[in-house]
Amino acid sequence: MTERLWSILVDSFPKLLWYGIKVTVPLTIFSFSIALAVALLVALIQYAKVRGLQQLCRFYIWITRGTPLLVQLYIVFFGLPSIGIRLPAFTAAMLVLGFNEGAYMSETIRGALESVSPGQIEAGYCVGLTFPKIMWHVALPQAFRTAFPALGNSMISMLKETSMAATISVMEMFRQAQVINGRVYESLGLYLEVALIYLVFCTFLTFLQRRGEKRLSSYGGKKQ
Amino acid sequence: MKKALIILVIFACMASLFAGGSSEDSLAAIKKKGTLAIATEGNWTPWTYHDASDKLTGFDIELGTLLANYLGVEPEFHEVPWESILVGVEQGVFDIACNGVGYTEERAQKFSFSEPYLYTEAVLVVRSDNTSVKTLSDLKGRKTSNSPNSTYAQLAESYGATVDYVDTLGETMMMIEQGRVDATINAKGSVDSYLEEHPEANIKVVQTVAGEPVCWPIRKGSQTESLLNAINSFLQQVRQDGTLAALSVKYFGTDLTKAN
Repeated sequence: MTERLWSILVDSFPKLLWYGIKVTVPLTIFSFSIALAVALLVALIQYAKVRGLQQLCRFYIWITRGTPLLVQLYIVFFGLPSIGIRLPAFTAAMLVLGFNEGAYMSETIRGALESVSPGQIEAGYCVGLTFPKIMWHVALPQAFRTAFPALGNSMISMLKETSMAATISVMEMFRQAQVINGRVYESLGLYLEVALIYLVFCTFLTFLQRRGEKRLSSYGGKKQ
Repeated sequence: MKKALIILVIFACMASLFAGGSSEDSLAAIKKKGTLAIATEGNWTPWTYHDASDKLTGFDIELGTLLANYLGVEPEFHEVPWESILVGVEQGVFDIACNGVGYTEERAQKFSFSEPYLYTEAVLVVRSDNTSVKTLSDLKGRKTSNSPNSTYAQLAESYGATVDYVDTLGETMMMIEQGRVDATINAKGSVDSYLEEHPEANIKVVQTVAGEPVCWPIRKGSQTESLLNAINSFLQQVRQDGTLAALSVKYFGTDLTKAN
């Protein structure tokens, strides 16, 4: 590694990290919150088989899973202004990432809910609980434990997908690396560097996921 | 901690792997394999693009083909994104980049450049109803748009603009038309051909300035010296016999071969 490359990498590290903390991390957190809310709602509607709304949810999942994220970003950012909706780049990215991952996560949660044995639900009715109460106190806590690893997966993949927001002019960590590269032409070094920072962020998320799983495994069932 | 260290070592090894290179004379190697590996984007009119019958063409494609003929080999065009073009030339994956590359000092640190063969002009573009941005000096405190590798982005910044980055010229123009940014500085030839394709576009050119000299970058080093000499004598020949000027008129509508 030449001295020039080394000094470029050292100089750009704080800049990259700063955009990671300032844009990539908040974008992940906001988008994931949206995704979780959407997924929960969509999963519950399907689990409860609410007529009309259920079909609407299937339609949403069909469209979202069947089209590329990049195209969705383009339509919301560059396409919607033609019908008078002009969203700022960050907001557009946040909504698209949230609703995109929400579709996948809703299937995860629905699957988890359906894995809760029907006997439990019946037992809930037998002791006089209402449907919302059964959901809240019986089905969801168990489903959450089942869904947790997959949801962690979604969050990790979302963290990396935020780099797609660069295509609609959001200045995030990866775009910052591209911009620095536009001046110094050290793409390989800079991209490895930015990959390393993503890796560190994801490692932290993996750590949180492990902690969460340990915590959940002592919930109910086997106390440790 | 141990794991982190192992990862670091892997990364360092990868970097040093890529940094290595052969010491064989490139001109001799090109003649031996009988082809000139040319990197180009293939989506940037009029430099390098696909015509209506989907054939790769453009100013740099024709000139690059002539260069290969001059060297007595076949041209072999590789269409790759801008990002991969320079890194590919640097690592020796491609022999040369024929992609309207502007000469800058930063680039010259990493690449050997041929003699300039064109002198482009840059234009300042705003939305048709914009009356406040007329010259580059009006860019102070404004927003402009460019792709991340563009030297025009750096030019805009030097006039005090902040740059919102997108990937292509088409998106840049949308940023302006949708009022997300105020202006862009871009290559005149590209803006002209954009306006030709989109005569209805709600944009206008307010200023034309001298751009950078355009050269061919090749890999830096002693093994490419003979190649560089051959390229330069080719350029001298096409300049003298009028081929270069004719190509410029064909693709840009005007003779851009002289320094402005």
